[in-house]
Amino acid sequence: MKRFWILILTEFKAWRHDPISAAGGFIPTTFILLAFGLLFGGRLAFKLGVINHDQGPYGGVLRQTFDETLSPFGIPYYDVIDMSEDQTWETYQDFGLEGVWVIPADFSDSVEAGENPKVEMHFSNYNDDRAKNHRIYAAEIMWRFYEKIDYPAPPLELDETYPLSTMIEWFPVIAVGVILMAFMIGGMMNIFMLTYKEQIDHLTLEFGLAPRSLVWVLLPKTVLSLIMSIITGTALMGIVYLWIGDWPALHAAIFPGQALLGVWFLASLVVLFWVPITMAFGLRAQYFAGAIAVMLTAITTFFIGGGLSLVRVNLDRAVWFTWLIPNAYAVDPMRDLILFHEWPVDWDQTLLILGGFAVLGLAFGWGSTIRQLRRLG
Amino acid sequence: MKRFFLLLANEFKFARTSIPVHIVAILQPTLMYLLMTVILVDPTFSMNVTQPDSKIEHDLALAMQQVGSSIGKPYIDVHFVAADEGQGEFRQLVVIEDRHDQATAVQHYGLIDSNIVKNYRNRLTAAALRLWDADLGDQAIQIEEYAWLPQDVSYKVYFGMALLPMAAAIAASIIGSLLTAQDFERGTILQYRLSPMHPALILGARLTRLIITGMLSAGVLLVAVGAITGFWPATPWKVILVLLPICLITGGLGIVAGLVIQKTIPSFMVALITSFISWIIGSAFGLAAGFGRGYAAASLFTPNTYTVELLFPLYFGAPVGNPLVSMLVLSLMSLLMLGICALVYQFRVISDD
Repeated sequence: MKRFWILILTEFKAWRHDPISAAGGFIPTTFILLAFGLLFGGRLAFKLGVINHDQGPYGGVLRQTFDETLSPFGIPYYDVIDMSEDQTWETYQDFGLEGVWVIPADFSDSVEAGENPKVEMHFSNYNDDRAKNHRIYAAEIMWRFYEKIDYPAPPLELDETYPLSTMIEWFPVIAVGVILMAFMIGGMMNIFMLTYKEQIDHLTLEFGLAPRSLVWVLLPKTVLSLIMSIITGTALMGIVYLWIGDWPALHAAIFPGQALLGVWFLASLVVLFWVPITMAFGLRAQYFAGAIAVMLTAITTFFIGGGLSLVRVNLDRAVWFTWLIPNAYAVDPMRDLILFHEWPVDWDQTLLILGGFAVLGLAFGWGSTIRQLRRLG
Repeated sequence: MKRFFLLLANEFKFARTSIPVHIVAILQPTLMYLLMTVILVDPTFSMNVTQPDSKIEHDLALAMQQVGSSIGKPYIDVHFVAADEGQGEFRQLVVIEDRHDQATAVQHYGLIDSNIVKNYRNRLTAAALRLWDADLGDQAIQIEEYAWLPQDVSYKVYFGMALLPMAAAIAASIIGSLLTAQDFERGTILQYRLSPMHPALILGARLTRLIITGMLSAGVLLVAVGAITGFWPATPWKVILVLLPICLITGGLGIVAGLVIQKTIPSFMVALITSFISWIIGSAFGLAAGFGRGYAAASLFTPNTYTVELLFPLYFGAPVGNPLVSMLVLSLMSLLMLGICALVYQFRVISDD
């Protein structure tokens, strides 16, 4: 144990001489969070222009319907921007508006006479997904409009049931993905840069010549990386808390800090998969190429490992390589703890899978590192 | 001129010292695109519905199959499930129930992700509205669609197109920062200091090499986007012209980062983060004007936004924004970066003893 403490202090001192690795995990993820916040953290409503030529009352009712029809985000589907007709078309052509609805002069007359009333919907379709939104949002608007003008009841009513009483928005879902990436990069950058530093200081040569098991050398390195990873990830969690107010907590906690410990535990298991592999890779890779690979691996893993959306509810869309990385299994239980304040229902199963990944990472990473160090020695 | 080409050849020879970096920097954006195309949003959603039994259930199933774009894809892929299959097994299940003598389509959700709920809800409403419209007959309000393009275009095209400037930027900035920081770490900078050649020649050779590298990275991605989507730019030489400023700006950024920081890893971090953030806030997922005001304002400060605006007509055949303004801004940004590069080079290399 004494040897372990000596080695961990040595590792810590080595880190203190070059603490850039801490920034390496924190700064990129903070900026990425900021960028996604700008993109998805705002009001997710389509900006729309409505040109109402109608001479009667129904055009105004339709215009009002846009403000009253709410999406599951709790806001209207459309933000109607009131402008003159010329301005509306000009803004639409500059892509400042997603679409323009034109209500013709005889709209109310046609509604009252029941003679095929029509409205025009102009919209952009350079992105088929956004074009799809226009078409299906229009149905919501019309449904509400029919109700407002007391049309005969629909042949089929609509209703919904949910497993929980609250909805979760998109940006918080992404934010937890970024938090997991921060844990990951925090640990990986630390182990990669320390290994490099020890290589150029020829410490790795001394390690290779050690008479005792090299596990005693690798264990403190891994522990230090884990600590750095937890510090980086927790710091980013702090930023997320300040931004959107979500922090690990439980509705029914057994002891204080239980949710935070749960997040740390899940993240640590993920990091224990990546850190030993990075260590082994760090002994072989060129310094710069290795650092690039670390960053890009983390970013790619974020995208394919459920960083942008909930994994559990998108099982049919997940691709086979998603399941080859531990992040895909850890990110939703982390969301349970941070966003929903519920203990993950699949906690035991998740631990088993993540534990398996950690053992695999440690066996491969440590084994490969030890072989490499001994060969050098 | 001969000296310039000698320097340029020498710049390319440096690649031998960092082959893996070059491979990663040039191919990573394409790899990311290939991975993302598998998981990118698609307008067609699978929706579970209980096996139709009554007329209204059959009508709804038929209406669901008809919801979609007349110039694109269907929006619902109907999956019939047996009524006795548990609701908990699905993320969404539509069951038609009789409530107070009124048929009601109840959407049972296994999730609370508001974005997904929205997508399911809207699709079911669109299908149910078809039934209501059919009942209303001539009273039903028709929505006449005026789509901007004759055909809905897959999101993969826009995503790939917006990734082109990022591919060029990543390669140019990362390799620029690496080469310049290495000059300090390996002592090559001393040779540049002592060289009788004009610094503009040395910087020019490096920038030219970075521009070519950036173009190469974007070229690989362009081929991948074309092969996957079948969309190719109308005039490929214009793509080269449009990407030229961003290669220059980000190549310059890499050089400045290397000159200021003089260490490979921190310089690389600056280059990578700047390129990545510029991509995200520079119309990466859709034209900036269509997002929030804050996003649109931030996007004005990144060259990606203007590059995307100039690439857009080459892929979609329709103009976006004011091409002259975009060209002017990119030219000014390029000139500014050249000035900063020259200034920092003056301070860090020539004046620094």
